[in-house]
Amino acid sequence: MTQVARTGPAGRGTTATRSDVAPAWAVPASLALALVGLGLSIYLTIEHFTAPGSLACPVGGAVDCAQVTTSPQSEFLNIPVAVLGIVFFAAMLALCLPMLWRRMDRRLWQARMAVAGIGVLFAIYLIFAELFIIEAFCLWCTAVHLVAFGLFAVVVLASAMADPSPFDRR
Amino acid sequence: MAQTARSVARQRAERARLARERAARRARRIRTAWWVVAAAPAFVALLVLIRVAIPDAPTGGGADSRQLSSAVIAALRPDPSTLDSVGRGQGVTPPTPIADQPPLTADGKPLVLYVGAEYCPFCASQRWPLAIALSRFGSFTGLTASRSASDDVYPNTATISFHGSTYVSEYLAFQGVELATNERQGRRYAPLDTLTPEQEAVMNTYNAPPYAAQAGSIPFLDFGNRFLQTGASVSPQLLVGLSHDEIAAELVSNPDGPVAQAILGSANAFTAALCVLTDGQPGEVCDSPAAAAYQAEVGG
Repeated sequence: MTQVARTGPAGRGTTATRSDVAPAWAVPASLALALVGLGLSIYLTIEHFTAPGSLACPVGGAVDCAQVTTSPQSEFLNIPVAVLGIVFFAAMLALCLPMLWRRMDRRLWQARMAVAGIGVLFAIYLIFAELFIIEAFCLWCTAVHLVAFGLFAVVVLASAMADPSPFDRR
Repeated sequence: MAQTARSVARQRAERARLARERAARRARRIRTAWWVVAAAPAFVALLVLIRVAIPDAPTGGGADSRQLSSAVIAALRPDPSTLDSVGRGQGVTPPTPIADQPPLTADGKPLVLYVGAEYCPFCASQRWPLAIALSRFGSFTGLTASRSASDDVYPNTATISFHGSTYVSEYLAFQGVELATNERQGRRYAPLDTLTPEQEAVMNTYNAPPYAAQAGSIPFLDFGNRFLQTGASVSPQLLVGLSHDEIAAELVSNPDGPVAQAILGSANAFTAALCVLTDGQPGEVCDSPAAAAYQAEVGG
């Protein structure tokens, strides 16, 4: 499995048939995390849209999903953040398909890291909102944040460990 | 021959040098990656530490006196003709009838149970029409001024509190439970009233599916197990930026305005429900156009 079929200029649009570009654990780990994140985001989206009418307060506590999922911070630019979660994890699921992990396309690897980075930055913003604005936690949201962190870690480490590296100049 | 051997050796050395450089670059990338991966949770840990370290700011409604002004007290008993003219009003969600439930009573009279909390902005908007409607069947003492929490949506919404109040009526019994204040105590609001076992049983049954979309949300109103109101009947959005006296002035002097239309319209909806509980007593209230405005919804 060392044959490399080049279909374009070096470092771009190049398909490597060798399966060991990324570490072996990268494909199953990233796919599993993206699927888990997608499932959690779908659940939170359903919660967001089926929560009681906006004219009610949850009986508040520190761990209170309704307080978080119905807060003003549950929407970003008028889009529910749970829906943004679905978009993010669906994009990551697509970017982490095995055939794409094997592609030696530098732009593809950069896009995967960029999307994972945006996800983790947004998770940090939401944690900030939970800590300092809403002052309540949602365990389901926390699970989504952990998955986003995990996905970011897998993508960054796998990209660094890739051998041959799509980031090396040729 | 010797030249060829030297050339091969040079090529080998060059390949070895390139391999070492590539390995060194990969090692650097992996080290950097670990730092990047560690930075994100470290930043979150720092945020958590900061949050734990800083004290909670007071979140109550400010330094308002708890005493209601005479203008507010008067506004809670509006002129009946004003209520008649408002009729259904606007922006009102009337209570929902429920059928075939055991009557909820206290002291031999139909019981109206309100459960809310002082921090809750939706409870803040709910208390105005409820107090107005109940005041047509009896009288309150001990109502106090309050505001919703300053750190929630519709912050500092001016309202009254049922905590510590007494309601006397020959037709109805009323229990107003304010579960918490508007002051933070750690991550929660300081507890205030406690539900009795009977009130808790009502909450567990009727403030839960299938009667409520989500269990335990407030405000919650049970009109004698004949009508339920889960969530506010009017939006606190209407009261944003208004003081107690400004709301009172809207109710008394501007019956066509959105505040009076919502609050007095909702009071009329509650009045219609209460008239069902009291079998149409007192007649001067239950036979009025105000009480008739929501007759179709309450089926009285």
